[in-house]
Amino acid sequence: MGRIPSSLRARRMLALIPYLRRGATVRISDLAATLGTTAEEVTELLGDLVMCGVPPFSPDALIDLDVQADSVTVLADPPALDRPLRLTHAELRALLAAIETAGVGADDPLARKLADAADSASLEHLARSLRAHPEVGAAEIYSLLADAIESSCKVRIAYLSARETEPRSRVVRPLELVNRNGVWYLVAFCESADGERTFRLDRIHNAEQLDERFSHPVDPSRSVVPELAGVPTAVLRVAPGYSIDNRDWPGAEVEPQQDGSLRVRLPFASPHWVAREVCSALGAIEVLEPDELRAEVREMAERLLSELPS
Amino acid sequence: MRRIATRRLSQSSYNREDEGRAMVSPHERLVNLALYLASRTKPVSIQECRDAGLGYPADADDAAFQRMFERDKDALRAAGIAIVVDEDGRYSVDPDQSYAAEIELDDAECATIRALAAALVNDPSFPFAEDLAVAVAKMDLGPFPDEPVRSNLAVADPGRQSAQARIAADAVSRRKRLRFGYTNARGERKRHEVEPYGVAFRRGRWYLVGRDVELNEVRVYALLRADALEVETTHPKNPDFEVPEGFSIEDYLVLPFQIGSERFDAAALFGPSAAWRAPAATEGKGRLVPRHDGSVLWEVQAASPRAFAAWCVANGPGVVPRAPETAVSAYRTGLEEVAARHG
Repeated sequence: MGRIPSSLRARRMLALIPYLRRGATVRISDLAATLGTTAEEVTELLGDLVMCGVPPFSPDALIDLDVQADSVTVLADPPALDRPLRLTHAELRALLAAIETAGVGADDPLARKLADAADSASLEHLARSLRAHPEVGAAEIYSLLADAIESSCKVRIAYLSARETEPRSRVVRPLELVNRNGVWYLVAFCESADGERTFRLDRIHNAEQLDERFSHPVDPSRSVVPELAGVPTAVLRVAPGYSIDNRDWPGAEVEPQQDGSLRVRLPFASPHWVAREVCSALGAIEVLEPDELRAEVREMAERLLSELPS
Repeated sequence: MRRIATRRLSQSSYNREDEGRAMVSPHERLVNLALYLASRTKPVSIQECRDAGLGYPADADDAAFQRMFERDKDALRAAGIAIVVDEDGRYSVDPDQSYAAEIELDDAECATIRALAAALVNDPSFPFAEDLAVAVAKMDLGPFPDEPVRSNLAVADPGRQSAQARIAADAVSRRKRLRFGYTNARGERKRHEVEPYGVAFRRGRWYLVGRDVELNEVRVYALLRADALEVETTHPKNPDFEVPEGFSIEDYLVLPFQIGSERFDAAALFGPSAAWRAPAATEGKGRLVPRHDGSVLWEVQAASPRAFAAWCVANGPGVVPRAPETAVSAYRTGLEEVAARHG
């Protein structure tokens, strides 16, 4: 913790003070969880706090704590600052950026409530100068899933998978919400598939929290990228001048060719995903192998062509 | 059970009367100053702060002490403590401006913030992680989940993007000019001086929006392509510019097919089975017109027919360009080429 700037360390210490009410015994792990840090760091912060106080810095004028290995007992109320401090502009900015990633905009009631804990002028300024995600309408699904994860309630979702044209209903046990490259995913145990699956939130048509509860597994999967070991690899040719900079292709190996084209070895778990990536390049990307994937691409292109009005 | 002996040992060796006592660390001094100012019933002078034994070095000369005191006040203000100065130059804490007003969040709102914090506090590409952790602690929303969630808003160079976004966001807040090197898509690098108006994130990239001083135009810069960001340091406490009236960052965040100087009206049809995805997919751009058959027509400005057609394919199935004819043609010929190449 030695490399943390003093100002930040002081902010964390000040944030802890309101939790230290006389007579209370608080688990250090709970304080760590509240502050989003480790128990070791909280123990250090508490060790620093007992050095602090007001003049004359006699024992009764210092923050009086009995710090144990796994808990802290508060022997006297702190001399001041025993209420939570107002959110600063930077803290409101962090909260708004965080909720915007889930689709909660600055005009949402939640954003306005958060601004009430800070400075309302900050909200107006941040609404004009900060955008963390432009997606519309995702907040409701995110909020429902976050609540279901905390309350261990099963959820019925209508989900549009990459290979389907209509959303399909399934019951899942929601485990985690994870972001990758700006896209939120739900990691859940899917009862229909009898296994853990990952669902893009923007492909969940609707979600309904059920009364039925479930037990969280001890060690759920923590990655939204499919395990690449053992999956097939596609070989692609990318036409000269065509940029793939913005493509999120986990595990891709890119080899520039003399003619300016790129040869890409791309591990894939879903042929539908690769087919859509290739089709959306409108001819600038070609699958060289395997043949089954080439057929998948051709079928998707023909299917998409059939959607055009004749 | 291990008992931490820090306090007992520290207090016995922590003689505040002793001018030559062990150094008080800067973070302890900051907390002492905060507690001292907040506990006083009357404003105190700078000399009283110096003499109160808060931890300012006894051997610091007046100028050094003054600098230290100014820095400490700034740090405490940045923590949310409103330190005010009266007409006699005495300091106090304004409780109304320092303590948080109570806000009521329902269970789902608390769960939303906790879930987001769990994901983003440890995300190396989220530039405001420290502030988020302190904010959540201040709000007393209850503990984060036991295990940190692994999340990565920006997969490409997350630490660098995050650090640059943080610098840029602070420059936006303080209205300080930024200078940086920028390598464009053609690989050409050039120095830019920009008045930063806003910061945005989308699809794994952090962006800076601001007025390029040399070009006198508002431009969007991908921070992944920027290097050596420097904040204007002259007059650090005074803003360098005013943000134009009516500026909104939203106006500069465009979809991929809207990049370019050309402008034309485009339209795409979300079929009945895809209509529910239209509000999210179109990101609030353009106009969505519901139709009797359950489909939705999307009318939007575009700059590239081919890019518009590609967007429709990427967001399909069930999304088809309808106008202009050049976009419909790009969609048709592009997919015909795909089918032919893979035949």
